[in-house]
Amino acid sequence: MKSPKIILGVALAAVAATSACGQGVLGGDDEGGDDKGPIVLGMNVPKSGSSAEIGPYMENGAQLAIEEINAKGGVLGRKLQLRAEDDGCDPKMATAAANKLVAAGVKASVGGYCSGATLPTLPVFDKAKIPMVIPAANSTDLVAQKLKHVFLINGTGDQQTTAAMAWLVKSGAKKVAVMHDNTSYAKDIAVRTAAELDKPGGPDKAGIETVNPGESDYSANVTAVLKTSPDFIYWTGYYQEGGLLTRQLRQAGYKGKIMVADGAVDPKIISIAQGENADGLYATMTQMPDTIQGAQNWVAKYKQKFSADPGPYSPQSYDAVRVVAEAMTKAGSTDGAKVVTALEGINGFQIFSGPLKFTPDHRLSEGGFVILVVKDGKFALQDSLK
Amino acid sequence: MSQLIWNGLFVGSFYALVALGYSMVYGIIKLLNFAHGDLYMLGAFSGFAMLGAMGGLVKSQSLLALFIVLLLAMLTTGLSGVVLERVAYRPLRRAPRLALLITAVGASFALEYGTRIVAGANPKVYPVRLGGTTLHVFGARITVQQLALVGVAVALMVALHLLITRSRQGRAMRAIALDPRAALLMGVDVDKVIARTFFIGSALAGAAGVMAGGYYGKIDFLMGFIIGLKAFTAAVIGGIGNMQGTMLGGLVLGLLESFGTHWLGGEWRDVFAFGCLILFLTVRPTGLLGERVTERV
Amino acid sequence: MTAGDGPPVKPVVGRGPTFITRLMESRWLGWAGLAVGLGAPLVIATPYALNIMTSAVIFVMLAVGLNIVVGYCGLLDLGFAAFFAVGAYTSGILANELEIPLLATVPAVIVVTVIAGIVIGAPTLRLRSDYLAIVTLGFGEIIRIVANNLDITGGPSGIYGIPGLSAFGVDLSEPVVFYWVTVLIVALAVLFAARLGRSRLGRAWRFVREDEDAAEASGIHTYQVKLSAYIAGAVWGGLAGVLFAGQLSAVSPASFTFLQSALVLMAVVLGGMGSTPGVVLGAVFISLLPELLRDFADYRFFVFGVLLIVVMIVRPQGLWPHRSSESARTAARSRTGPPGEPATDSKGAS
Repeated sequence: MKSPKIILGVALAAVAATSACGQGVLGGDDEGGDDKGPIVLGMNVPKSGSSAEIGPYMENGAQLAIEEINAKGGVLGRKLQLRAEDDGCDPKMATAAANKLVAAGVKASVGGYCSGATLPTLPVFDKAKIPMVIPAANSTDLVAQKLKHVFLINGTGDQQTTAAMAWLVKSGAKKVAVMHDNTSYAKDIAVRTAAELDKPGGPDKAGIETVNPGESDYSANVTAVLKTSPDFIYWTGYYQEGGLLTRQLRQAGYKGKIMVADGAVDPKIISIAQGENADGLYATMTQMPDTIQGAQNWVAKYKQKFSADPGPYSPQSYDAVRVVAEAMTKAGSTDGAKVVTALEGINGFQIFSGPLKFTPDHRLSEGGFVILVVKDGKFALQDSLK
Repeated sequence: MSQLIWNGLFVGSFYALVALGYSMVYGIIKLLNFAHGDLYMLGAFSGFAMLGAMGGLVKSQSLLALFIVLLLAMLTTGLSGVVLERVAYRPLRRAPRLALLITAVGASFALEYGTRIVAGANPKVYPVRLGGTTLHVFGARITVQQLALVGVAVALMVALHLLITRSRQGRAMRAIALDPRAALLMGVDVDKVIARTFFIGSALAGAAGVMAGGYYGKIDFLMGFIIGLKAFTAAVIGGIGNMQGTMLGGLVLGLLESFGTHWLGGEWRDVFAFGCLILFLTVRPTGLLGERVTERV
Repeated sequence: MTAGDGPPVKPVVGRGPTFITRLMESRWLGWAGLAVGLGAPLVIATPYALNIMTSAVIFVMLAVGLNIVVGYCGLLDLGFAAFFAVGAYTSGILANELEIPLLATVPAVIVVTVIAGIVIGAPTLRLRSDYLAIVTLGFGEIIRIVANNLDITGGPSGIYGIPGLSAFGVDLSEPVVFYWVTVLIVALAVLFAARLGRSRLGRAWRFVREDEDAAEASGIHTYQVKLSAYIAGAVWGGLAGVLFAGQLSAVSPASFTFLQSALVLMAVVLGGMGSTPGVVLGAVFISLLPELLRDFADYRFFVFGVLLIVVMIVRPQGLWPHRSSESARTAARSRTGPPGEPATDSKGAS
């Protein structure tokens, strides 16, 4: 009888072969491991998969900060260096990338875009005692485990909800419909907003509607929402569907107001919604360079360096690097525990969303959300909710 | 209510247009062309590229431009379909079905991610959009552009129907569907007719792609996956291989989805649609209008 | 002349054992490989290497499971990730809610995946084979959407904080230990699947694949046989899900898309449908390749797609084909089997 054991062998032989000859390929390199060379910061961003377009925005933002800091002499007398890995917005790929960064000896992580792909990387960095300053992913699940090394510098869903509610009240909305695309981030905000609307006082809830991301025809959803006769609609998903929905809502004769959450703030939403359909579209968003006074310099520098406009989460990634550098300088060390203590002690460090201070569960004390509005085909500041 | 029906019929006519190609190919060579939805995507993208190339004309004569692009894109996707058949399917015509299906899955991937490499992962926005006034019919809001699109879809379907039932070509197709070996003996050039079938089916999908681009405005490289799945569902519901059945199936699926969203909420719509597919396959595998087919071995 | 008309592809007919053939069929290869696999961490043990090696081994488990369905029984399943998801979610939820160790959820996972296999297989396995492909795809989507919609599965962000592997109070979640445990479990599973493929049931599966009507005529209850293949595949997929949940500590719907199902299928097709060593090799290849070519992630699926077409046209039996010849002993044993059992001689063109 031929032995089926052969089979085992093949698997293992192959694994072994790859690992044996893979020291160089898979083993990663130890450029950041010693205490003399540059301090390497790791960054998990999507460069392939459904959110591939975000990766370069974030990587460039971080790179800009690193070059600025290096030009001023670096941190602790050492240069900073960025090492970006593709997480493809896929949990498995993200975990592998995180392990790769750990193996490469990074001293801190400044990446994380998709919450679903970032969640499984938390224990990887946490076990290796590497501080994470997450610039974009903002699910409250990220801090729910209360891991010591995990910090968020993007406003979370509940903070965005607070901002949205403040604007709904302020703008006199009466009956609000919430729509989301059933992704973790969007659903979080939508469910929280719906819960707030259900409370007595303030605007009423017209309904909550889910659409399937990645499609073109949302007429069924539009019909369902308009049946509840809202005068204000809040879309918490991403820009592709946001643009289509805005247009289809207007075509269906909806005259009320529309607001989108930060995932939909992208110039493309205006071109997809087409012309006047997008006019007067509100958005809950953290400050963007072009809505901040005095940030023109930053935008100009970014454009000059990368010959492209900054995009979503470029500023936050830029900030993440600066925050880490600040904490390392304060701690006088790149040691994980010391850097975490320094991060917890930061008070009033200026980032795009305002002065930085972490809450005990490592989130921003102030979400820094403002209200933007589309004017003349561009997002502009409407209300800073201060 | 009437709005729900209209929404369903409108979406359904897209499904029907794509499903026809599925159905034709299946009817003739019993192949589920898994890559069919991606030909729809290819149509949308080639339309986008052509509109970009036409430049000035698009601004001044947008409707005319869109119509020319529609015809050219049909030609492009039709030829792509022929190439696909020649390269990927013809060498395997005698192989078991499993091999053909796997090839079709491979072709689907190659088309999707090939487009991605060429055009990028970001969604593209059509420079021309159909605009129009809104009519109220029985309480449903219907835009003129929707009517125009449905008109084009119906025209294409009627043309196809005439082609199949009245022309020599159509007779050859039906002959091959009935018995390919006998057709060959009767002097029908089987290879040629299959290539033509692929051309027509793919061109219809391409037309649907351009229409979707012009109407919705946003296209991306994965847009064909879901619609391919839905088109298959439509074809099965109506009776795969049967042209009238397939058209009917598209409309029925559109209505099912429209009402499914209404009853269950948007997040359960696809579960509902696929649930219906499974139910249909279990209860009536030949579809609404399909005649009883005995599985040949 | 239609697709269904052609004769089944003939299994490769040996030209007499060459050196490579003899090497490929050597009985010692398995043990040697197992030793090398277990010894791999002694050569390289960075967290990254261990992580992708563990992922590869889990992927092997998935591929071997799908091989039972596609390779042995010839049923094209495009929604195999559904079982993977059922396993991962069941074990993750049970471990989190009841606070029991991950391994203790295995019996429950087996029960649930068997049920899932029956629920999905029962209505669909009577269908034509090509309908089956799309219906399984639909089911794969249904499972993912349901996981995305329900609260108990944590909605779109999924469940997290799943405890690592432990047995009898010993923590096995240290990456190296986890890797070794995974290798041993998967090795057992691979061995068992290969044995199953050679058993009486396995021969029935292959018979059904080669010629369903002949099988039916020889007294095989083809529906039951197909369903059993489906259930076996489901259990393998579910168990891979348990390991997956243990490795990542978080489970979310993003891991169970159609792409995942397609990747497993590619591993099976590339390696050689029905050939266990081939499938194992294919799985290791498919799973490690994207890590080795991280910077070309955009091209990966394009290359895979083209590869599928090329393999099907040029070498449909895969890189390491299944050899249908059986040793004299097995053949003799089956010939003396009780009446009514399919004689192995009638199997295909071998």
